[in-house]
Amino acid sequence: MRDALSYQARTNHWLTGALVLACVIVAGVGFAIGDTFYLRLATEALIFGGLALAVDILLGYTGLLSLGQALYFGLGAYVSAVTLIAYPSFWGAMGAALATGLIGGLAGGLIANRVRGVYFALITFGMAQVMAKAIYNTRSLGASDGLIGVPVIDINLGLLSVSTASPAGFFLFVLGMITALYLVCAYLMDTPFGRLLIAMRTNEARVPFLGYRTSTLRLGSFMLASVVAALSGALYPMLRGFVSPELLFFATSGNAVITVILGGVGTLVGALYGSLIFTILKSVVGSWTEHHLIVIGILFMLVVIFLPKGMMGLLHALLRRASAGKRP
Amino acid sequence: MLEYIQFVLAPQVVTGLALGVAVILVALGLTIIFGLLDVINMSHGEFYAVGAFIALALGQLGLPFWVLLIGVPLLMLPIGYIVERGLIQRVFHTPDRHVTTLLLTFGFGLVLEDGLRLAFGPNPHKPETPIPGAIEVLGTFLPLYRLFMVGFGGAVIIATALIVYRTRLGAMVRAAAFDRNMAASLGVPVEHVYAGAFAFGVALAGLAGVLLAPIYSVFPTMGRDFILLAFTVIIVGGMGSIGGAAIAGLLLTQVQAISSLYISPVWADPIVFGIMVLMLVARPKGLRGRLGHA
Amino acid sequence: MSSTILEVEDLSISFGGLHAVDGVTFAADRHRITTVIGPNGAGKSTLFNLVSGALRPVRGRVRLDGRDVTGAPPFRMQAAGLARSFQITALFFGLTVAENLRLGAQRLEPTGRLWAPVRRSGRAQARVQALLEQFGLADKAEYLVGALSHGEQRRLEIAVALAAEPKVLLLDEPTQGMSHGDTEVTAAFIRKLAQDVTILLIEHDIGLVMDLSDKVVVMHQGRKIAEGPPAAVRADPAVQSAYFGHA
Repeated sequence: MRDALSYQARTNHWLTGALVLACVIVAGVGFAIGDTFYLRLATEALIFGGLALAVDILLGYTGLLSLGQALYFGLGAYVSAVTLIAYPSFWGAMGAALATGLIGGLAGGLIANRVRGVYFALITFGMAQVMAKAIYNTRSLGASDGLIGVPVIDINLGLLSVSTASPAGFFLFVLGMITALYLVCAYLMDTPFGRLLIAMRTNEARVPFLGYRTSTLRLGSFMLASVVAALSGALYPMLRGFVSPELLFFATSGNAVITVILGGVGTLVGALYGSLIFTILKSVVGSWTEHHLIVIGILFMLVVIFLPKGMMGLLHALLRRASAGKRP
Repeated sequence: MLEYIQFVLAPQVVTGLALGVAVILVALGLTIIFGLLDVINMSHGEFYAVGAFIALALGQLGLPFWVLLIGVPLLMLPIGYIVERGLIQRVFHTPDRHVTTLLLTFGFGLVLEDGLRLAFGPNPHKPETPIPGAIEVLGTFLPLYRLFMVGFGGAVIIATALIVYRTRLGAMVRAAAFDRNMAASLGVPVEHVYAGAFAFGVALAGLAGVLLAPIYSVFPTMGRDFILLAFTVIIVGGMGSIGGAAIAGLLLTQVQAISSLYISPVWADPIVFGIMVLMLVARPKGLRGRLGHA
Repeated sequence: MSSTILEVEDLSISFGGLHAVDGVTFAADRHRITTVIGPNGAGKSTLFNLVSGALRPVRGRVRLDGRDVTGAPPFRMQAAGLARSFQITALFFGLTVAENLRLGAQRLEPTGRLWAPVRRSGRAQARVQALLEQFGLADKAEYLVGALSHGEQRRLEIAVALAAEPKVLLLDEPTQGMSHGDTEVTAAFIRKLAQDVTILLIEHDIGLVMDLSDKVVVMHQGRKIAEGPPAAVRADPAVQSAYFGHA
């Protein structure tokens, strides 16, 4: 028995499938013409899409605006870089990032759990600022220059292995990883746990009377989001070969929020589409003018005012109209 | 010991007071906007920067400091008014307006910041100190400009408090903050009050920008750096409370000023944030209550 | 098994200097309808908040089926078998009727089911179907709550509280804002519900109170001033002077 929310999730799965297909085609074309730059850019877009996924879990499902999700993204990136430099193993780096996401998420979640709404946004903002400055000032982590020299590694997947140096290969691999993260999140949001998060977003006060502890639910959501962010961040040094404190700055968190709103909050797939759009916008506008922030800022404001459901909202509406006669 | 007070502590306290007054002005604007409109103005730091830049530009055209001091905030009033009516009101009546206005002002802040970068370039500028020199008071040398800041800023803060709590205009504002519909039905022009309060709030931020420009120099991201401190002040003081913002502002900047004598400045942000978190966890209402109730 | 399922003893709470609930003691019998009435400001909703765990009392005890549940938070009250509806409709407005009911019924499933796909929560789903039939909302199952009429929303409010099969159901002005016809229907509902569940009710409609109640508790300015069968309470001079004035 499928209900309305599951139907929506299903439409989103189709949209994700379309995205994956498009990416595979792009990978093929890029490989054929020997492109490096655009494939790497697209890979980066997907990696930041993972961060956006994390933001959407908190904002779109639990109703919590995090203005500092880059904290976990950046921590995951740094941990991954440090691990790879010392011991070039993909699974080692991912494992370290996973642990970081869990522990950091637990710590941050316990702090942020005491507050809601605006205060939650400010606390997450503050946590990220503090960590960012701390790393910025830590010589052993490269201070303001960050860490360079992350080696190229081969990712062993049993039958074949992917080198992080291969633009098309690594792009497809990251596509697979981010899609896997998406599927895990989508699955969880369609379980009673996920539905309780949605209930909290709708009317938090009633949830305890259903028999559930809201603080535990929120902590669970926060930890999920921090793990997703950390795992995504772990992929960054594999792509670029370095990490820098900018990964934790407010700009990164802010961009993730913009991405989610552009794509469509509360859809998960919107985070991915949004990240691709955002990256395309930034590089296209960025090639005309240095001041792409003005354009993005204005576009963002327009979306907030006129298109609050983002791009996915638009697509859902179009699809509904298209299949208006077919559904029972 | 006396020498220590004379040459180290006293000037530092005065510096702290000067910064404190400016921080209070910014926080005051933020807390009035929150207390009245229930809006978190994420672009507030950028309005602070805008004030500083306008003063810089007009100053380079030759206008004297006194004109800037009065003129720049006055200039920012209509800007703030238009932003509130034209931008914020568009999402004000949506169900999740708290998040939406936060996001909207966040986006606007980005536009402002990049706009400043576009107009003035990314490099910092430092206008000359308008009142150079120092006077000797009881053996210590206190910078004149900072003393002026304390005096002028303090006067503006007190005037604001008086207006809000002792005038009819202030009563209208507090009524609108307490219960919008009731105030409207009693004849209070709530839309204008809201827009006016927003305008006033950002004008205060702009004034702080004018005052602090000669000390900290002027650059496009100056708002972002400042905003964490401003938010901490209003959280510690109690969001929506004017008295709270004043007390918290003085306290926090004094703590910062005196502690910078002993510990490295990299600890400044963590300490500020730590205080914010402690406050939110232990006493979310802050030291005082909301504008309508304080 | 004693006939008393809910016991409230010397329950008290103050706000500032105001004694919102002051030393209230009464008992509700199993499978009976006990109604709490009183003029506005008597402390009825506060009493409900104390019993359901939304507020902690400064004094007094609450016993559910012999177990002391004083001061337990709402989620634990729910586990003990107590559920409540709200005077101001507190449904999940952006969600469908069926989803609201399912959320209410989820506790029937073991905790592990939280992590399985929603459609696997078979027992909860079955409960949802049963409730939809019982409350006459079957054809509106996929409607968003906002699309329901006020009367339907109030019925759904009760249904959600009932979803996890509680032992005691607290209904806070269930007919609030309803038309006369709707009120009659709801009253019949409540009477039928009492066959399976103990009901504690706050009501203003005196006709309804007289009709439905097995026992009436009267509150005035935070204190209980009468407790007994409807006819006896109605004749009580203390009650009449505090509250009635019309037949």
